Amino acid sequence: MAKFFELIKADHNFEFVGRQRLFFGLSAFLIIATVAMLPINHYWRGAALNFSTELRGGTEMTVEFSKPAESGAIRDGMSAGGFHDTEVVPFKDDAHPNSYILRFGAVSAVNSDGATKLEQALREKVGAEVLRKFEFSEGGDKFYARFSKPITVDDMGGVLKAQGISYSTINTFGRIEDNQLEVVLVGLNLEVTKALNTKLGEGAVKAILSSDSVGAKAGKELRDNGITTVLAAILFIMLYILVRFDFRYGPGTVLALLHDAFIVVGAFAITYKEFSLTTVAAILTVIGYSMNDTIVVFDRIRENVTKYRDKRFDRIVNASINETLSRTILTAATVFFVTLAMNIWGTGTIREFAFAMNVGVIVGTYSSIFIAAPILIWLNERFFKPQGNTKPSRAS
Amino acid sequence: MERSWTYRVVIYLMLTVLAAIGLTPSLAGWFGQEDSLPPWFKKHVTRKILLGLDLQGGLHIVYKVDVDKAVSNKADRLASEVEERLKKDRKVSSVTVGRSGNDEITVQFREPAEAKKLDLNMMKTFRRDLFEDSRDADKGFVVLKVDSDQIDEMREYAVRQGVETIRNRVDKLAVAEPTIIRKGSDIIVELPGLKPEDFERVKKLIGQTAQLEFRIVDDGNEYMKKLSGVALTKKDAYPGLDVAHDGWTQKDTQAQHSDVYLKAKDRKVIEKFVAELEGENKVPPDHEIAFEEVADRDDFGAETQDKFWRTYYLHRRAELTGEYISDSDWNVDQQSFKPEVSLTFDRKGADLFEKVSGDNVGRKMAIILDQKITSAPVLEGKIGGGRARITLGGGSPEGMKQEAIDLVAVLRTGALPAPLTWKSENQVGPTLGRDAVDKAKFSMAVGSLAVILFMLLYYRLSGLIANIAMVLNILFLLAILAYLPGSAATLTLPGIAGVVLTVGMAVDANIIIYERIREELRAGKSARGAVEAGFGRAFWTVFDAHVTNLVAGIVLFSYGTGPIRGFAVTLIAGIICNLFTSVWVSRVMFDYMVGRKKAATLSI
Repeated sequence: MAKFFELIKADHNFEFVGRQRLFFGLSAFLIIATVAMLPINHYWRGAALNFSTELRGGTEMTVEFSKPAESGAIRDGMSAGGFHDTEVVPFKDDAHPNSYILRFGAVSAVNSDGATKLEQALREKVGAEVLRKFEFSEGGDKFYARFSKPITVDDMGGVLKAQGISYSTINTFGRIEDNQLEVVLVGLNLEVTKALNTKLGEGAVKAILSSDSVGAKAGKELRDNGITTVLAAILFIMLYILVRFDFRYGPGTVLALLHDAFIVVGAFAITYKEFSLTTVAAILTVIGYSMNDTIVVFDRIRENVTKYRDKRFDRIVNASINETLSRTILTAATVFFVTLAMNIWGTGTIREFAFAMNVGVIVGTYSSIFIAAPILIWLNERFFKPQGNTKPSRAS
Repeated sequence: MERSWTYRVVIYLMLTVLAAIGLTPSLAGWFGQEDSLPPWFKKHVTRKILLGLDLQGGLHIVYKVDVDKAVSNKADRLASEVEERLKKDRKVSSVTVGRSGNDEITVQFREPAEAKKLDLNMMKTFRRDLFEDSRDADKGFVVLKVDSDQIDEMREYAVRQGVETIRNRVDKLAVAEPTIIRKGSDIIVELPGLKPEDFERVKKLIGQTAQLEFRIVDDGNEYMKKLSGVALTKKDAYPGLDVAHDGWTQKDTQAQHSDVYLKAKDRKVIEKFVAELEGENKVPPDHEIAFEEVADRDDFGAETQDKFWRTYYLHRRAELTGEYISDSDWNVDQQSFKPEVSLTFDRKGADLFEKVSGDNVGRKMAIILDQKITSAPVLEGKIGGGRARITLGGGSPEGMKQEAIDLVAVLRTGALPAPLTWKSENQVGPTLGRDAVDKAKFSMAVGSLAVILFMLLYYRLSGLIANIAMVLNILFLLAILAYLPGSAATLTLPGIAGVVLTVGMAVDANIIIYERIREELRAGKSARGAVEAGFGRAFWTVFDAHVTNLVAGIVLFSYGTGPIRGFAVTLIAGIICNLFTSVWVSRVMFDYMVGRKKAATLSI
């Protein structure tokens, strides 16, 4: 017999199935910790998860200053410009020294309070009954006002100036008899630059390196869609498993995948790392990847069921896990190490992605053995005779 | 087997060469060696891997088409039409027509008996748009609703027009590889490579509600005469500013019209002059100064290549807007050989146009598109029938033709039927992504090296085969990204993570196969038999595993936009290439060892 370089000897036999209570307990603990962490974060740290701007709504701007700036002064300058509660984080990038990431709630130069004030001022100016409709969409860079009689562009401009709102253009909108005006506001970048330059001196802002703005509604939509997407992926994968295996194999995979998704979220809840769209992408990748190990184990179980008809099903499962253990660990290890490299040397979103993958690869491998397989055994005992079925084998 | 092996090797080699060719322009670009490529090669292989805007900078905006506003606007209009008809045609003494929700019209008759006048006959004129929802004859209260098919149609139409309009505008920006994707009622616009200083201008241009307006020029007004006097005294302060005169004869009465206007090569000069006017020199609130770019004429009255901006003194009130236009087309005028655009107004628009043209015979009517006068023809008489023509001004024949086509596109799509509501945006400067890419490259190198070394150590010669397969996997993956058009595949920062991840996953399929081969060898099979059984049995396991990964990738693709979509594309392409390289390509190498070389033992 040939000699191989092996991490795990071929004749090993670890007991997995017999210790499932211990591992179920561990998983239950982790899931409860995740669920508990969300409200704890909500009260203690302000939000259930450290949602990125794109998921929370608001603006994230990376600003480069021409000379070193105090984060306190930046915050004050933003406040004076009407952007309250700005989070100021240093941005580390060798090519851009003196850079900061600013996070704040506003997504346009006018917020909803400003819009309400503006509407009141307009009513005072033209008469309450003349202003028939005032539409300002949250995060919008424009708004619409409809009157019962013609109102000139200058009248509107006057009201805006009195309110201290800078605008870029005012147009008539729609049909003439609609008496509707459209106001296009000045961009957020200009307003922020103005606010910072006022506080720190003209020319203080060297460049706005990037700017992400997401309306609160869009942020919530992305969050909701993220959850549906993860669930949809799990459902489709389960359907595929049902087609390729049989119904006993379905529920175990679903629970294992949900378990993985949950614990990755839990890791983000505990570390309070930024939870972004990239994290959602990472969770989906983890789900797809976690199935690899599960399939390897399931395939072997199916093969062994026909091979050893006289053995108990749970023993077959334990043997199958042992037989495939080396490849389960090796495949997980290769992916773990490349993502670990990204976690150590990567930046920004790449790093968060890699972190999610690191956690996901570990729990994904774990769940194939300790979640998916035991549930398969339980379903088999509950609905089939304990011996397993006689389907033809085709597995590795 | 011998023959099939040769065929397979030839096919895989051809694919590899094809991939290498496709990737060459991208690689040359990354290493700054573009000039060293032979010209014939550059001519035929042009596609490059496009970098997403998180890597090269640019602008990404998501708009929502406010379809409900389109519906609500339509209902508002129908409500006033219902009221007008009841009062004029049906002689209803007193009626209040109100609106509720997005699609409901409420009609309250003062005399309940008069509710009868809102009968089937009258509803017939609205049959495409409205239906009676409920009626309380005792109270004289009727609720009408906008037809739901009509609403669906309007919504669909509004989004489609939104996409069309944005595409037209973006095309004018001359940005390389813009993408405009429709997703539900959202429109996603991506402009990679756009410079930060252009962000504001471009955002404004895209978000603008295409407005076509018809306004009457107030020629011969005293104010303009006064203003031209002021302008002449301030020529030094505003270099290039000048005053000129314009005159024409009214056809029916032979009355002479004359007008004075300001002109300059640079529009900004006049704008600055007008903006800095003070006191009684300011433009009266009911008027406005608008601009048109016109070609200079030489001494013989022929148009020259030189262009300048001129002003028109307009009544602020628009007489008509693009909303009344039902159709538009363009053709070339047989006499002047200039392209002209024809307009057809709807019923209401036709009435208005007839009245306006009749009231202002001899005057000029300015046609204003997106704040700029496209032309200002003289109204020669009352124009009935709801048709009008716009003859386009100077310029090269191709330029004019393009202008005509653009104008028709805007007129047909009209002013946007529903406003675009901003949803989210992402602006990235061109230098931001560089550091991240360098670090990603480094981590990719470290990760790949670790995997390569591990495979060599653990599986020796077979590990080498897996490594070759992995390198081919990356080659094919990048080649696919290069061959796909930019709208389908761009390399983003998460996409790089996807490539790195592919390195890790690439060898997984090999590990599954190799472990199986080892088992077969342990069971006492010959080298050849073990390879045969190992690949055969492991195939479906590997296949299933890839399919589940693919499912996750496809779901992700449909969820994400921008960088996430880039990641999904990389992941999907990586999975497909992986199945190919790890199962088929490495099999060829094994077949060579055990089949051709007849190796008795395997280095695995």
